[in-house]
Amino acid sequence: MTALNSPKITRKATRSGLPILSDYFRETWRFRVFAWRWSLADIKARNFETFLGRVWHVINPLLFGLIYFIFVGILSGGGLDSISYLAAIVGNLYAWLFFSQIVTLAMAAVQSGPGGILGQSAIPRIVVPIASTITSTNLFLRSLIAYVFMHLIASRGLHVEMLLAPIIIILICMFGFGFALIFATLNVYVRDVSRLIPHFLRLWLYLSPVIWEYTRVLGDGSLNQIARLNPFYSGVTAWTISLGGTLDPDGPKIWEQIGVFSIWSVAIFFVGIFVFISKEDEFAIRN
Amino acid sequence: MNLQLETEAVRVENLSVNYSVVAESSPGKKRKFYEKTTRKTKIKALDDISFSIPSGKIVGLIGGNGAGKSTLLKTVIGVLKPASGKIDLWGRPHLLSPGMGFNRLLSGRENVVLGGLAAGMTLNEVKEKQDSIIEFADIGGFIDLPMTTYSSGMFGRLSFAVATHIRPEILLIDEALSAGDAAFKERAVQRLKDLCESALSIVVVSHSSTLVAEMATEAIWLHRGKIKMQGEVQSVTDEYLKFQAEGNETAQLDQR
Repeated sequence: MTALNSPKITRKATRSGLPILSDYFRETWRFRVFAWRWSLADIKARNFETFLGRVWHVINPLLFGLIYFIFVGILSGGGLDSISYLAAIVGNLYAWLFFSQIVTLAMAAVQSGPGGILGQSAIPRIVVPIASTITSTNLFLRSLIAYVFMHLIASRGLHVEMLLAPIIIILICMFGFGFALIFATLNVYVRDVSRLIPHFLRLWLYLSPVIWEYTRVLGDGSLNQIARLNPFYSGVTAWTISLGGTLDPDGPKIWEQIGVFSIWSVAIFFVGIFVFISKEDEFAIRN
Repeated sequence: MNLQLETEAVRVENLSVNYSVVAESSPGKKRKFYEKTTRKTKIKALDDISFSIPSGKIVGLIGGNGAGKSTLLKTVIGVLKPASGKIDLWGRPHLLSPGMGFNRLLSGRENVVLGGLAAGMTLNEVKEKQDSIIEFADIGGFIDLPMTTYSSGMFGRLSFAVATHIRPEILLIDEALSAGDAAFKERAVQRLKDLCESALSIVVVSHSSTLVAEMATEAIWLHRGKIKMQGEVQSVTDEYLKFQAEGNETAQLDQR
């Protein structure tokens, strides 16, 4: 160490605000392998003590889908005639579960901090929701294995729109990650948020065209148009078309839906990152 | 322009740190259902402290419960933010935190990787040091069993082994030697001394005045968020022990 050199790191009182982003993301990148490994460890540990172990990653969404399969069948007056429609609902539910799991796992992880890491190191806090989002994505991709069975049983066939599914998955991931960061930040300030989120997500599920279609319930009137302001509408619609193909030539177009959902996803993704990073230095004193 | 006047490792200037906690507003008192049951309390954990640590020195940080030792360490590593004042560091600090990043449902071997990565090592570094870490922990076949099956001593051994296999520039230690039997403690102290020699700048030891006296050359005594005394380790620890013997050392909540 030579004399008269300036300090490598300075910590001082600052107003909450964005850190130097290049430093922040370089530091985040440094912990990418930790995020990946921690996520894999989390998945491994989830069903560690069960008899069926990793098979649960497929059985769980299969049972989840089956319950809604029967539930919607009963609600539609025992109309289990359209197996394809019901398979579409199960496919939509997996997409919804993917989004809601990103939000709930990230909030829980930011609140507790994996392995006490948040209270003992200056690791960028965003590494934690990144790790939990990797977990959610991994679990979602496994649930798609369960969906493939249903798709085959329902003879839904292959469609060119399926090639767009990876884009929609990435957009749902960004959408969920952005919301997760916003809610996780709010939860640090107001703990009641974590209590409200399960109810909020359930309400949002029923307001989204996941287990029903707007036109079937609301018709084509103004109520339908208002309901389409739901940010997740375009995402679910694009996902439904990508799995089942364009059944109604006069209905929503997949490219339009992906376009609208891209705007929502990118906007929420960056707003979430901005909100989280600009407030994360207060997490330790409030957690 | 903020320049280093001599070979300093850490410089703390007029540092104050506050944090807020949620507590029951009036314990024991009956309330109407709509009345708020909690209140926020602001704690002044460090109050306008200044000191400097030269490079290559081992400095002990001592004081009673609530003196502000852990708060100071957490502010140096960047977990807590100063309310006022600043800290200059001439190296990357690392807090020796046993068990950081562990997932106790997994095996010790898997946690060696997780803990190493959490401490900032690369995957290659962890793989290179894995055998040495496992050898130091010396927990036999338990290394491949889930950590939920470990005794607290085994957990302490493995987590200490992981935490002390990194090469930080500024190493901060906070109660790292609370686990393990007498034989392991002896090896652990030796391990820390070795680390002190290889650390580029400084090691700060906290909490145990005996350990401080054994390892450090200088000491800082914190009392209720302020520096009570600093200087040569023996004189500071002697004064601190005298202070304790007189029964003056009680935790106090300094609220604002």
